[in-house]
Amino acid sequence: MRRGWQVACVCLLGIFVSALITSLGYSLTDALGPGPGFFPFWLSMIGMALTSGLLVQLVGGRIFADPAVEILPSRQVALQGGSVLIALTGAAAVLEPLGFRLTMLLFIAGLLLALGARSLLAIALTAVAGSFGVFHVFYYWLKVPLPIGALGI
Amino acid sequence: MNGLAAAMSWQNFIFALIGCVLGTLIGVLPGLGPAAGTAILIPLTFRLDPTGALIMLSAIYYGAMYGGTITSVLINVPGEAASVVTCFDGHQMAKQGRGGTALGIAAIGSFVGGIAATIALVVVAPPLARVALSFGPPEFFALMLVGLGLVTSLAGRSLAAGLAMAVLGLLIAMVGIDPVRGAPRFTFGIPSLYDGVGFIPVVMGLFGVAEILLTIGAPTRQVIATKLTSLLPSREEWRRSWGAIGRGTGIGFFLGLIPGVGAIIPTFVAYVFEKRISKTPEHFGQGAIEGVAAPESANNAYANAAMIPLLTLGIPSSPTIAVLMGAFIVNGLTPGPFLFQERPDLVWAVIASFFLGNVLLLILNLPLVGLWARILHLPYQYVCVGTLLFCILGAYSLQQNVFDVGVMIVCGIIGYGMRKIDLPIAPLVLGLILGPFIEKSLRTSLEMSGGDFSIFYTRPLCLGLLVVSALILVASALRLAPAEVREASKN
Amino acid sequence: MSRVITAIISAATALALNIAGAIGQDFPNRPIQLMVAYPAGGSTDIAARIVASIAEKELGQPIVVVNKGGAGGQVGWTDMVRQKPDGYYIGFINLPATNTVILDPERKAIFSEKDFTPIINQVLDPGVIWVKSDSPYKTVQDLIVAAKNSPNTIRAATTGILSDDHLAILMTEEAAPGAAFRLVHLEGGAAQFKEIMAGNVDVAFDNVGSIVPRVRSGEVRALAVLDDVRSKFLPEVPTTKELGYPTIISNSTRGIAGPKDMPAPIVAKLREVLKKAMEAPEHVKKLEEQGIAIRIMVGEEYAKYFADTHAKAKKYTEWAKNRPQK
Repeated sequence: MRRGWQVACVCLLGIFVSALITSLGYSLTDALGPGPGFFPFWLSMIGMALTSGLLVQLVGGRIFADPAVEILPSRQVALQGGSVLIALTGAAAVLEPLGFRLTMLLFIAGLLLALGARSLLAIALTAVAGSFGVFHVFYYWLKVPLPIGALGI
Repeated sequence: MNGLAAAMSWQNFIFALIGCVLGTLIGVLPGLGPAAGTAILIPLTFRLDPTGALIMLSAIYYGAMYGGTITSVLINVPGEAASVVTCFDGHQMAKQGRGGTALGIAAIGSFVGGIAATIALVVVAPPLARVALSFGPPEFFALMLVGLGLVTSLAGRSLAAGLAMAVLGLLIAMVGIDPVRGAPRFTFGIPSLYDGVGFIPVVMGLFGVAEILLTIGAPTRQVIATKLTSLLPSREEWRRSWGAIGRGTGIGFFLGLIPGVGAIIPTFVAYVFEKRISKTPEHFGQGAIEGVAAPESANNAYANAAMIPLLTLGIPSSPTIAVLMGAFIVNGLTPGPFLFQERPDLVWAVIASFFLGNVLLLILNLPLVGLWARILHLPYQYVCVGTLLFCILGAYSLQQNVFDVGVMIVCGIIGYGMRKIDLPIAPLVLGLILGPFIEKSLRTSLEMSGGDFSIFYTRPLCLGLLVVSALILVASALRLAPAEVREASKN
Repeated sequence: MSRVITAIISAATALALNIAGAIGQDFPNRPIQLMVAYPAGGSTDIAARIVASIAEKELGQPIVVVNKGGAGGQVGWTDMVRQKPDGYYIGFINLPATNTVILDPERKAIFSEKDFTPIINQVLDPGVIWVKSDSPYKTVQDLIVAAKNSPNTIRAATTGILSDDHLAILMTEEAAPGAAFRLVHLEGGAAQFKEIMAGNVDVAFDNVGSIVPRVRSGEVRALAVLDDVRSKFLPEVPTTKELGYPTIISNSTRGIAGPKDMPAPIVAKLREVLKKAMEAPEHVKKLEEQGIAIRIMVGEEYAKYFADTHAKAKKYTEWAKNRPQK
């Protein structure tokens, strides 16, 4: 846990430092008062101070009296979590080229299988309802535009 | 007063009913927030008479407030922005098998909040409307600082971590066009970032997607499959909830009178206030029923109270109400003091429909609560995939932009990481919400004063609020410092 | 296995042939997206939905209004110029807002005025100067005199940085040398209304369509319409031309355009359908009820208007960027 916080602090520090540098590219003051760079600059400074303080506390052992909690997931869980992320990223990537209906069809069916659903009928029904069914409701009834891909679907 | 009777016509009843149903659906459906949903339905109302149209649109508006709660509780995905806070405790309750109770108390709290606000609207509307006018940009700035002071109550185990998260939230809020030069800031040449990092994709990721990643394959799924406990809260829970409902209603109502506050802030304030005065603050975030009752009441009290500036002065308090006002105008009516005088029948009919709508919502939703809660009984693969479908649809349909889906996924990973190591997420969300308000109101105040900072201490209300925010900050620092010292000395 | 592959290939070929056939067919053969660069519920949006609901009947395919709000419209227009110019994605451009986004170097717009195919203009909403009904300023002259006597004190509200209102204030300062206003940039007409009522700003520059109902009800007083003819919705309000300031002409137009290089027959078809919809009694009635003036412009007239607005906006945008604020 402490290790986790240390990693998080380092990441945060990185974010704040880059924000600080970027904000220097915007003017800090303006005729009327704070300029576009003013708040980002000072916020980054405060953020850096807080994160450094936190790091010091962590290294000094002042937080976390509780015993280490297992934070890395087991292999099986990691595989499932990984498949969710891959499925999501893949869906986002092909959403516009392939269109909503096709993408969701593949997404739903694929992810259901990957997570261990068994009944092929249920999978097929859900996939069709979630892709074509949802599309119909949103596009034709609610007039919410959803992507139609290169194949015209 | 005749209007109240007139509103009970069959036609108007039907319109209110349709509005409530549509509104709830819009709230449940991802991404399609009340503003967009209402706007889309405006052309439908062209066929109706103005009164009917307005009644229906108003019903959609506060119906959507409730709908968003359903997904927050069941799948930890805020159906619309204002339901974020309900995720904190509502979903935890669902995981403990008390999802039905959470939805039930939310329905009841919303009902009380809405009715109370409407009664106040009828009884004391005009004097209250003055409140709306006295909050100019300087007062708003000070109010947002008070809101920022809330962050210390959300920090959890480490104040420094909580503050750092809030600062990060504030920084992320600065991405986009700045209020000073109107030029892009922190956008790194990505046009999709010109309007900032979308709030809804971020919270859908931090809460919804992260929840999925966390609970995959975990044995807790089995807990939900056990017998669904009674839908009604226990006596103990009732006792704790009533106070929360009352306080939430008050907070939501007051903030609803101030234009520009938006629906999320009252829910945060109500939640934090409840946590502060609770004898068992450590329960919050683990499924405390007050953590659901307070924000839900605040939410609906806000929604109904926000109609007061619109009906009495013609000032819309939020983008959603601005859409509603657009609907008024398209139907040939201009909200404001003159509408009250010229067409009192119409205004009273609309107000009566608020009462009606709140009652209808309660009647519609309470019985359905059991049905909704059953969704969690489905095999978890289906709940998982359904939630993700929901999230993708929601994130995309906001702006028809795949970038928002990407933001959501990234935030899902970040949220997962944060939950795993117990970094507080709420301060981040609070910073993200308040950031734009704080900067814009500061800028507008300085534009008004020509760069003179004295505008902040020469206006009494503003000065008062600034003092309050300073007090809150000091009080929190004093309260938490001893606790941290105590912790440290334990080692 | 090979049988499966054959099946896949034949299916793919059939699909491909289908698509090829589809391209040759008449336009449109599927729904069209009409983009509005502002969030739902605003003035542009409502008018867009009205015209879409009428036009789609004539067109034979649904016209879906898509809101792509943000960055004062920049997000929506950026998106539009990247679409295929096949007529299935068109959107509203708001002049001079579109122009100022292009002209402001800090905005780093990826599009220029040449990246659009103007199709048809819908609305021309003249600018208007208005104050609270109990304001000490009864005429534009009062206002200008006050602005000269105490420069940089009179708080003038706009609906956004580099909006047409912003440029209109600069035009006023130009036409009345010595007059200087304190600019307060608010977001949208509703915010303007609130701050005027609360007394936080002294005068508002906005457009006729936003305040007609309020002028009629007596809540606000319109000092002048920034046009060379009187508005039919505010016939008793003088124009800046009548008042001796013929250079203060400002308005906000809303028209439909597509990405550049749209084929002429498609543009012609869209124009014809949209023009008919805009001339339809239902459309006229709904817009006029709100005080929004319809001004249909097509072809050469619209293109020229675009170019003229662009040139005019250029001058004032440069001034706006360099103008000291105190």
